[in-house]
Amino acid sequence: MLGFVEEIVLLQLDEGHGGFADLPLAAADIVIAGAAVMELALQNRVDSDLQRLFVTDRSPTGDAMLDDAVARLADGGELTTASAIERLTGSAAAYREEALRRLVAKGILREENGRHFWVFRTRRYPVVDDTEQREVRARLRQVLLTEEIPDPRDVVLICLIEACELLGLVLSTDEAAAARARVEQLSRLDLIGQAVTRAAAEIRFLIRHAAASVF
Amino acid sequence: MEFAHEQAGGVTVVRLAGRLDSAAAPAAEASFAPLLAGAPHLAVDLSGLDYISSAGLRVLLVVAKRVQQASGKVVLFGLVPNVREIFAVSGFDRIFTVAEDAAAALAAAQ
Repeated sequence: MLGFVEEIVLLQLDEGHGGFADLPLAAADIVIAGAAVMELALQNRVDSDLQRLFVTDRSPTGDAMLDDAVARLADGGELTTASAIERLTGSAAAYREEALRRLVAKGILREENGRHFWVFRTRRYPVVDDTEQREVRARLRQVLLTEEIPDPRDVVLICLIEACELLGLVLSTDEAAAARARVEQLSRLDLIGQAVTRAAAEIRFLIRHAAASVF
Repeated sequence: MEFAHEQAGGVTVVRLAGRLDSAAAPAAEASFAPLLAGAPHLAVDLSGLDYISSAGLRVLLVVAKRVQQASGKVVLFGLVPNVREIFAVSGFDRIFTVAEDAAAALAAAQ
């Protein structure tokens, strides 16, 4: 089973070309940071309520990325869920790189280095083994298109996909429209996921508003 | 957290009291597990539950999922105001049937 940071990095990759889905970098960083916080929550290392988020267990997780995240969250004052996510966004690029490295090491992705117009270095990550992606998509389709109660890991993935506006990876356009209320209902079930979705939506809104002002 | 249960006809009445947070979640999960065998009919009394966190909500979500998979029923009652608020914000009040009192919960969980 992959961790949430690896899952969302994998889901953001275009299967054919191995490039990342079109998402503002600031929003992508929020999603990565949120994925790390939610992984810690499901491992009972952090907990939250409507007001605060707190580190409940600082002992090593056996995962360097998560240990780094715990240390950053524990090192400072009182946190809200939003401020916890914000605190980890500075590490999001490193977490993304680490997730890509792990996905390559597991044989799920292949790293391809190249040049664009013979000048700019490019890196792509074509999917070598899409078993994980297919299984996650099938599971989420089952939860989103029926009245089945999701398990907590599925709720987190729905929150992350919603935050990235990547529902189209899982559902067709018609299915997504029909399941809109269900997606909103399920993505509320995780309080940390709510904060991730909200923060990513705010960033997207600001960027679109800024772009509309320019043009 | 305190966890107790008793039979009332065909319904198992579960009483949760205290705090259901990350410290209590593993014990709560373990306590629920034997009650989820077969097709469980549960009425869960939350009137003594002062506080529930994200970790506590996840315990209840797993219970709801297992009960649904087993074609059983689970009904909650006795939610104190702050627990009712977190249920409303998280939408858990739409996942669970929430009854007004014990009698209504027992009837609904049959």
